[in-house]
Amino acid sequence: MGPLVDALLRELDGYVAGQTLEVETIFVGGGTPTMLPPEELGRLLDRLRALARPGAELEFTVEANPATVTPEIAKVLVSAGVNRVSIGAQSFDVAELAVLERGHRPVQVAETVAVCREAGLGCVNLDLIFAIPGQTLESWLASLEQAIGLQPEHLSCYSLTFEPGTRLYDQLQAGKVTRVDQDLDAAMYERTIDTLSDAGYVHYEISNFSRPGYRCRHNLVYWHNEPYLGIGPSAAGLVDGARYKNVAEVAGYTEAVLAGRGPRVEEERRSIEQRARETAMLELRLIEGIDRRRFERRYGQDPVDFFSEAVRRHCETGLLEVTDQRVRLTRAGLLLADTVVADFL
Amino acid sequence: MNQELIRNFSIIAHIDHGKSTLADRMLHRSGAVAERDLKEQLLDTMDLERERGITIKASAVTIDMVVDGKTYMFNLIDTPGHVDFHYEVDRALAACEGALLVVDATQGVQAQTVANAYAAVGNDLEIIPVVNKIDLAGAGPEDTAIEVEHVLGISSENVQFVSAKSGDGVPELMKAIVEHLPPPTGDPDAPLQVLIFDSQYNDYRGVICYVRVMHGTLNKGRKILLMGRARNYMVTELGKFRPRMTPCDSLAAGETGYVVASIKTLKDVTVGDTITDAVHPAPEPLPGYQPPQLMVFCDFYPSSGETYNALREALERLSLNDSSFSYHPQQSDALGPGFRCGFLGLLHMEIVQERLERECGVSVVQTAPSVTYEVVLRDGKVERVEAAGDLPDASHIEELREPWVEMQIITPAEAIGNIMALAETKRGEYKRQEYISPQRVILTYEFPFNEILYDFYDKLKSITRGYGTMDYQVTDYRAGDLVKLDILVNHTPVDALSLICHRTKADHRGRRFLIKLRREIGRQQFEIRLQASIGHKIIASETIKPFRKDVTAKCYGGDVTRKRKLLEKQKKGKKRMKTVGSVDIPQKAFMTVLEPED
Ligand SMILES: Nc1nc2c(ncn2[C@@H]2O[C@H](COP(=O)(O)OP(=O)(O)OP(=O)(O)O)[C@@H](O)[C@H]2O)c(=O)[nH]1
Ligand SMILES: [Mg+2]
Repeated sequence: MGPLVDALLRELDGYVAGQTLEVETIFVGGGTPTMLPPEELGRLLDRLRALARPGAELEFTVEANPATVTPEIAKVLVSAGVNRVSIGAQSFDVAELAVLERGHRPVQVAETVAVCREAGLGCVNLDLIFAIPGQTLESWLASLEQAIGLQPEHLSCYSLTFEPGTRLYDQLQAGKVTRVDQDLDAAMYERTIDTLSDAGYVHYEISNFSRPGYRCRHNLVYWHNEPYLGIGPSAAGLVDGARYKNVAEVAGYTEAVLAGRGPRVEEERRSIEQRARETAMLELRLIEGIDRRRFERRYGQDPVDFFSEAVRRHCETGLLEVTDQRVRLTRAGLLLADTVVADFL
Repeated sequence: MNQELIRNFSIIAHIDHGKSTLADRMLHRSGAVAERDLKEQLLDTMDLERERGITIKASAVTIDMVVDGKTYMFNLIDTPGHVDFHYEVDRALAACEGALLVVDATQGVQAQTVANAYAAVGNDLEIIPVVNKIDLAGAGPEDTAIEVEHVLGISSENVQFVSAKSGDGVPELMKAIVEHLPPPTGDPDAPLQVLIFDSQYNDYRGVICYVRVMHGTLNKGRKILLMGRARNYMVTELGKFRPRMTPCDSLAAGETGYVVASIKTLKDVTVGDTITDAVHPAPEPLPGYQPPQLMVFCDFYPSSGETYNALREALERLSLNDSSFSYHPQQSDALGPGFRCGFLGLLHMEIVQERLERECGVSVVQTAPSVTYEVVLRDGKVERVEAAGDLPDASHIEELREPWVEMQIITPAEAIGNIMALAETKRGEYKRQEYISPQRVILTYEFPFNEILYDFYDKLKSITRGYGTMDYQVTDYRAGDLVKLDILVNHTPVDALSLICHRTKADHRGRRFLIKLRREIGRQQFEIRLQASIGHKIIASETIKPFRKDVTAKCYGGDVTRKRKLLEKQKKGKKRMKTVGSVDIPQKAFMTVLEPED
């Protein structure tokens, strides 16, 4: 693990050199950072913490799988200034966890939450997945209730995506597992929204819910199409108007950075029009939608005019609504977001 | 050149029996191709031929072959084995005195072996049976030779046993060619008569005519007359395929080669036409060929995002290379402007469609292929109809006639029962059966062409465990109790989806078709109603529920580019589609008619 952390810090140095980054949020995710040896983790986090804008109310998140957070690790996190943990709970059903090939047992989620609370971590997020092959509406709602019972400040509920390159995807292709029926998937999603709203959570993005005041500021940066730095294998970033992506393999990444070569494998500069379309694509994921004035300030035109054809079509079909302030998806539109958003591209 | 030293012959066989591989061995042996340039099926030069491993176009080649110390000029033509391209075999045979009938020793005599052997006999050619693939473990060379004798009446005495792969038996075959195939007999001093047996288009030279000189001698610079077209040209280049085009000064009676004469497009040349001297023309043209018959028709429409003009240009370009398909503008009520195209068969259709996309970069939506029907109208007029959508209103129709074929099926005897059952479902009429060996039979049947066009071959293969083969010829048109089945999408008839079928099958067909359409069209933004009707009577209906959910759950780690590309891809997926009303109908939906009936 040593060389990986060396490489991460080395890549970071390249960005920091000669300027101060006014960092407001930090998110350490992807894989399981909490699997690092405590000293290594501490070395990384301390360095990241130093990037914060002086006086900023830093949001500092670390992703963790259940059962990887020992009291010792939790202490390292807290002393490095981490104030938010995102736990990959996924499901509270043993069989469903097996389908997802997650190694933890359901009770370990509660244990992890307890360890975090004990250490003083103030904001806990639970990641959950629904529409898992074999899952029923009842079992999903049961998982959801268990999650609510742990009183997390934030919940991300994702409908399962079959990602090419994963075993699950191969199994789907081979017909060994079947997708959950679309109607069931939709029912699970709608019940999620209702259940969490009743429990006092605010639905603020397609898959994200929080207690008032606990929206994930880091993810909001993505959804507002604002700049962010990404470091590490397969990280993506948006810096100085350009999007980039790093090589995915850990070994390839470490080698490239330590040899003084850049780890980027993709770079893309976008025209203002492309940026405007991207912003619409991203902001439509937010329940509050696109702020018309803000969009006009950024791109010189009201989105209602910029996307007149798409706006007209989807207002007619009832998937989109326009108010004085905003353009946003309707409740029906949330379920068909991709259909709508595709017409904004 | 002394005609005694020339041999003109075609290599004919059932598909995959090894014609092109045998041609490879001969090219190699003659030294025409250096060792390092040798690749398998060298004469299959088109991309599609190499990819699919089949010959689509006949290729002529001239080689020098030393036999018993004398150098002979062999003009050989490798022909395709697939039924769709049978006309290529016919053309090649007319340019030859002999034929090598290749039979795979592991397969024995198959349907196209018989068809091609008869074609050679019909052209009065001398035939040398060549039993190939004797290197393979399952080969039965002796049994195959006996079958050849038994079925085709060709004495097994002359059979040559070879492995086109290893080259075993090839020297003996060369000797047999010299001994058994007659040399040409044309008179080099008679008035010029040159048969155009094929043509090809080349961007630099224009049309290249593949020719066989029957009488007289053709020289460079000669003024020539294309007798059928009554047009004059001047020969700017002539030569031989060795296998590269190699110019020479003259081609004398008995020789095969090519002619370039500033002919601009393939449409200016009729294959089968006779070239003669413009100043001293021959009194008569050669008999020539029947033009190839277009067997199936379908429409091509520009997919969403393509334009009609781009499609027209692509078709024009393709027809420069392939004059055997036809196209003319067609207006569909549902799909807008497009083209009605005619083909030699389904493989030919598939190839043209693939070349349009690949070589010309236009994506098309293609309707299901149809055979041609004859419609006798109430007023006594007879019309030809190439698509169900063009059928006049039933009230004007006195009689509807469909094409029938005669089919030969070669099969292991134990599958006869299954084949008879299959034939029954396809309205087949049994004619006769003959045993070609104690284990194998030739069955002769008559079928409505429409019934065997789509899935018959696959079914035959499956019930004979791959051993059955078939060949057919259209014989005549017969009146049938046929109806037009219309398909309505959200209550709008989609002409390009309608089909003609036998009344007794219409209900079943309609129901099955809708189920398949439902699957192919898939959920969309709104509910979709599908109906099948005959006249005004709805015989089946299906409903497609609207999309319930279409949303990417997660934007991974801020990888926005990826998300955007996915959405763009999803949008592009709509490319090979046609929109009718607000319903996107994908290409595959139009072709579901072709799927096996069950
Ligand atoms: N073992 C063995 N294989 C052979 C022999 N001759 C041909 N083949 C193989 O049989 C297959 C078909 O050979 P082709 O020469 O393409 O057959 P074809 O008759 O030209 O086929 P079409 O042009 O499509 O009708 C190829 O995979 C050849 O390698 C042989 O003598 N022995
Ligand atoms: Mg071949």
